[in-house]
This record gives sequence, structure tokens and C-alpha cells, in this order.
Amino acid sequence: MNELRQMWRVACYEWFDALRSRRALVVLLLYLAAAVCNMHWSINLLHKLENELATVLQLPQSERAGVVSTALWKSKPFQSMMKQMTQNDLVLQDITGKHPVELIYAWFAFFYTPLLVVLVAGNRIAEDIGSGAVRYVIFRTSRASWSLGKFMGQTLMIGLALLLSGAGAYAVAKCRLAGSGTPDLFLNMVQWSARAWVYSIPYLGLAMGLSHLTRSASKATIMGIIAIAACFVLSILSRHFASDIGWRAGLPYLNVLLPDDHKMCLWRNAAAPLVTGSTYLITLGFCYLLAGYAIFRRRDV
Amino acid sequence: MDNAIETVGLVKRYGARRALDGLTLAVPRFAVLGLIGPNGAGKTTWMMSVAGFLHLSAGSVNLLGEGPFSPAVHCGRVTILPQDSELPLESRPLELLAHYGLLQGLTRREAASSAAAMLEEVHLGDRFNSPIRSLSHGMRKRVMIAQCFIGFPELVLLDEPLSGLDPRELAHMRTFLTRRRGRQTLVISSHNLHDIEVMCDHVAFIENGRTVRAATLEEVVGKSRTLVYHVTAEPADYGALARAVPDSTLTFDVAASALVCRYDPHCATAEEVNAKLLPALLLQCGIRTVTRGASLEAEYLKNL
Repeated sequence: MNELRQMWRVACYEWFDALRSRRALVVLLLYLAAAVCNMHWSINLLHKLENELATVLQLPQSERAGVVSTALWKSKPFQSMMKQMTQNDLVLQDITGKHPVELIYAWFAFFYTPLLVVLVAGNRIAEDIGSGAVRYVIFRTSRASWSLGKFMGQTLMIGLALLLSGAGAYAVAKCRLAGSGTPDLFLNMVQWSARAWVYSIPYLGLAMGLSHLTRSASKATIMGIIAIAACFVLSILSRHFASDIGWRAGLPYLNVLLPDDHKMCLWRNAAAPLVTGSTYLITLGFCYLLAGYAIFRRRDV
Repeated sequence: MDNAIETVGLVKRYGARRALDGLTLAVPRFAVLGLIGPNGAGKTTWMMSVAGFLHLSAGSVNLLGEGPFSPAVHCGRVTILPQDSELPLESRPLELLAHYGLLQGLTRREAASSAAAMLEEVHLGDRFNSPIRSLSHGMRKRVMIAQCFIGFPELVLLDEPLSGLDPRELAHMRTFLTRRRGRQTLVISSHNLHDIEVMCDHVAFIENGRTVRAATLEEVVGKSRTLVYHVTAEPADYGALARAVPDSTLTFDVAASALVCRYDPHCATAEEVNAKLLPALLLQCGIRTVTRGASLEAEYLKNL
């Protein structure tokens, strides 16, 4: 109980300290700006496509984007086209049941979150080990509480960044896209932020686990970027070369250890895949972190 | 005597080099022990090992009679000022120290008041909310010293606590640390032997990862049984001096140009010995100063 309390105190302090850190704040604001710009540009593109479509169909052009898209999105020919593409009714239902704004934001959040994680949190542990700041803490609490507390603090920090980016993207959509200012959409955007947050946890565990291995903050960031890139490459390669025969039969098992393999579960509406995927991702995050911690535990600081 | 720290046969290897080579040292409870030794002697390594920052190759540590350092057992009872360790730069002294207090198990109110009191004590009352980044080296050092005394720990390890302080703060911190004598156990590592002499009641000489000598300051410098006369020239007639103080031993330290008189404190007081010896000595040479006890520096250099 005491360990948990200590961990929570480290986490809270880490969160406040990270918020004050200029670098983390800059990255957070850049991420928010990127989410807003991404939404803005996507709506521009959507509007342009709608206008071209209206010209071809000899219809009057709309002043606001989204009028044609919403109708198109719900049309039967579009749905049957999507059905052919996905080959899966459940996935089709999940995707076409969502507002385009949600999909634009979700794509952005899932794609860029690993990068955000590395830039914000990748060096936090290495920085403290390198500067010696860790020495003021680990005679007051255990190394495990410190590591897990730092991890939790950064998890909160990433959660805040995603929540803000979701709200920012919603605000842009509300101003610029017809029929997208509903409270339901806002709640859905918050939900997507939460899903992206769960998706960030294994990457956070990976980056912070690696951060235990070095005293150099910049080296920790580079190691984090390489590790996350390696995860993507391994995931693609193992999917590509997977087969039923020989050593290739083992590749799907390797994939289970990579966060990307569980990403699609977070796109589903049904509770079962969502819970399973989230559990896998959170477990992976802790496993990566604890692998780094296991080495740190035996290290001199 | 009850010991706050007992380390036996500590060995710490870095590759082929041994930073600690079987170091054995005991620190009595409520002592203020000065750790003296040349650069690379193993003072910092010993402190870091005692605080659990380093994993030892061999040897045993017993802190406060409860085994080697463990945060679960010693949290809040043992604190350390590590050498060359920065505080988090974005933090503010008051909230950082309060955070440390909370981690030590103090309540929120206790932690806040203890942090504020310690910062006032080290003359940083006006910098409670300044980022550590904006503080000068000396101010940061004072925050580091303050963090050691939050919640009144039983044992405090201070590695070079006074380096980088200006003369006024240096004097203040010396007084601050001296006031702890008899209430807390302090281990102070320093190259400044004058500081050690003023603040400590025990000293340990460490060299090549081993304890060369560990004793009370009184035993080492002999303040209650030695008088040192710094003279202008070596006295010519030792017989006359010996007749003046027949129960004492007289030696002449050529390097320091000092006559050292060792007497039995049970037979005569320093004032009585001085009253007899001084007139006899003045007949033979001039006297610059008279001090009680040898200097720690002289004793330290003698032990090397």
C-alpha cells in the first residue's frame, strides 16, 4: 500500500514537472497544432473533392464542407464499395458508422502518438540518471516505485496531450464542417483520444524501458526512435513473410509481442475486441518497461 | 558503543580497479564523523555504497542496526547529499523539498512546514518558488543540504557539503551542521580539514579504499593533552625546559617550527603546564602562537 502511495506521489510530481519542462510543453503544443492543422487540411481536401464532384454532377457547390460527404458516406453504393474493400461486415459497420471527422482524427492520433511518446517521455528517466537527480529520490522510495511513478506520470502527460489534440481537432471540425458540432461527436473524439492513449502505452513502456539503460538523454531519445521504427518494420515484415510452414509459422507469435498487431482491436466498437486489445497493449507496455527496469535495478546510479 | 553505521570489508571493483579495498569503518550513533582522504581514496564510493546507490562486490553494511540500506526500512531515517548530483532544474525548492518530505512519509502539512523551515534555515526564504535552474551554484548547494534535514533523519551523509559556498554562508553552514552534534549522526566528507576540525568529533582517514585511521578528533589531535608552541627558533637548552615540566614529553617539529608538549591531563591542566613552560621557553626564543592540540592537517599528513 505504501509502495503504491509512493508511486502515485512520484507520478503526480512527474506529471507537474513534465508540464513545466519547456521541451515537453513545446512538443505538446506542436502535437496540438499538428492535430488542428491535420483536421484543417483534411477538411480543405474534403471540400475540394466535394466541389469537384458537384461540378461533375452539375450540382450547386456548397459553401461549407461536409454536406456531400455525409450523404455520400451513408449512400448504399459507397457502403457496398467499402464492404468489398474490407471483406468484413463487422469492420465495415464499425468504420462506416463513424463520422469522417472521427476517422481523420483517429488516423492522425494513431499514426503520430508513438512519435509524441518518444519525444516527450523517451528521455525522462535517462535524464534523471545522468544528472544524478534520481539519487535524491531512491533513498526515499524504492527504485521500482520511482520507475513506475515516472511511467505513470508520463502516461498522464500523454493522455493530456491526446485529450487536448482531440478537443482541438473537434473545434476545427465544428467551425469548418457542416453537421459536426454535435456533443455526440465531441464525446466520440474524447473516446478516440482515450483509444489512442491506450495505444500509446506500449510505446511509452518501450521508450521508458530503454531510457533505463543509458545516462544520456539524447541517446535515450535516439534509442526510443530506433526501437519504435523497428517495431513498425518488424510488424510489417512478419505479416508479409508469415506462412504455415517452417520458421515462418512462428512469425505471427512474434507479431503478438508488437503493439501494431493489436491496433485494429482499438478501431472496433464491440467491447470484446476493445477490452482484449487494450489489455494486450497495456500488458505489453508494462512488460517493456519492466524489462528495462530489471537491468536498472542491478545498476549503480 | 552503539553504531549508526557498520561497514565491514567493503569491496567495490570497477573492472580491475578497486575503489574500495576491504574498507571497514564504524560510525558511532550521534557522532559527527569527518571522512578525510585524497582524491580517489574511496570516500564518495563508500558513501554511495552505504546509501545503496552502488552494488558492492563484497562486504557488509549495517545501517542503524537494521541491515543494509533498504528504502522500506530506512526511508526518512537516512538521507544523503550526493556529490555532483543536480536537482531537477524545473522544480521549485519549496515544492521539491515538500515532495521529498511526502516520500519520506511526512504528512502534507508536516512536509510543507519542514521544507519551508529548512529553506529558511539555509537562507533561501526568499527563493521558495524560484526554479532551481535560476539559482546560483551556492544556492543550489544549500537546497541540497536542506533536503538532507527534512523530517529530522537519524543519519545524514554529506559529500562535500561546503564546497562552492561563499564565506558568509560557509560560516553559517558550519554552525548549522555543528548544532546537529549529539542529536543526529552526521558523516561529512571534505578536503577542507579546518571545516572538519570545527564540525566533527570523530575522524576517519581513508586511502586506497581502506581505512588508515578512525578515532575521535580528541584522540587524533589531542587537544586535552597537547600544547603546541610555534616559535621563532629552535630552543637550545631542552634540559631547562624539561626541568620546568618534568611530567611532560617535549618534541620539536622542524617543519612547522613548533615545540610540541605532551602532558598527562590527569596530573596537570593545560593552564598549569603553560604557566610553567612558557617563562622557560621565552628565555630561549620568541613565541608566535600557542595552541591546544596538534592540527588535524599535521596529524593527517603524519598518517599518510
